[in-house]
Amino acid sequence: MKKLVGISLQEITPDWEMISRLLTAAARNLSDANIVEISLETRFDAAYKSILQSANAALQASGYRTLTSKPGHHQTMIQLLTKTAGVDRETIIVLDALRRQRNVVDYSGDIIPASAVSECVKQATCLLNQVSQRISDQKAD
Amino acid sequence: MSLTLASVLFKDYRRRVLGLLLLHPGESYHVREIARLTDTVAGTLHKELATLAKAGILVAQTRGNQKLYTANRECPVFEELASILRKTSGMVDVLAAALEPLSEQIDTALIFGSVAQGRETTRSDVDVLLVGTAGFAAVAEALYSCHEVLGREINPKVYDKREWAKLIHSNNGFALEIMEKPKMFIVGGSEAFEKISRYQSAGDNT
Repeated sequence: MKKLVGISLQEITPDWEMISRLLTAAARNLSDANIVEISLETRFDAAYKSILQSANAALQASGYRTLTSKPGHHQTMIQLLTKTAGVDRETIIVLDALRRQRNVVDYSGDIIPASAVSECVKQATCLLNQVSQRISDQKAD
Repeated sequence: MSLTLASVLFKDYRRRVLGLLLLHPGESYHVREIARLTDTVAGTLHKELATLAKAGILVAQTRGNQKLYTANRECPVFEELASILRKTSGMVDVLAAALEPLSEQIDTALIFGSVAQGRETTRSDVDVLLVGTAGFAAVAEALYSCHEVLGREINPKVYDKREWAKLIHSNNGFALEIMEKPKMFIVGGSEAFEKISRYQSAGDNT
């Protein structure tokens, strides 16, 4: 990750209050994503946002943040989850596919299928649990 | 079916080489690169590439001590050949092979959007529609290996049969556009797809 400093990352001292706020926001977005009355698109957006907030919390807890001025910081945060939260490669593949799904919808106005929403909610739930657990372990050390 | 078509029309190496170069007409490749991307042997490739260049299907350039090959867009049958490859050994075969493990869970899989319409740019994604019982994660994992082979991102839209039919019945613009515009079938054919799209389960008239 050191190699990416100055390119897409910046080194920071973890701000545990900010990290805890990110996790709270991730949980709030995830619970919004579970409201079945709202559109699939909005549920997907909320779940995806939750994924990014969890990923960001994991990254900051590892002592880095993305340079948001650079393009591709969503992709960076997702790819780095192997290092920042011990996420396996298969899961990264799925998270990255969800990211592209969202990009395409933003540009084309395509609709989101239910399959993508349920996967996004499932991934957001797993990631939030995994990252929360890891961060509480890190803080305990 | 499409694999048989392509392999009947072109010998193995020729099919692979043309599939790579004619479907990426803006790109130049050196021999070892072609060998790596098409899973062929560089030694045997030289002769094939030279033959194709001599016939004017490819253009050979020398840069330093390396020979680079690129598709010849000026070739009178370039468009036709590229179209055959797009529909056969190119994307469809690659995607069909990747989706094979999920075949029992897919009723229809097709390419839509710019690639199917032949108006793709080098940066266009491959838009794939899947209708069946397969889940998004399984499809994303199955298609992952195709990104490098095709040199393009693949964006799958995974629908349940009933959800897809509902979109058609509600005159959804996205769904109707897929029905009307050109597409390339990966799994199933147009007849089966029409049938799925008109599908109405008992008691569901929405």
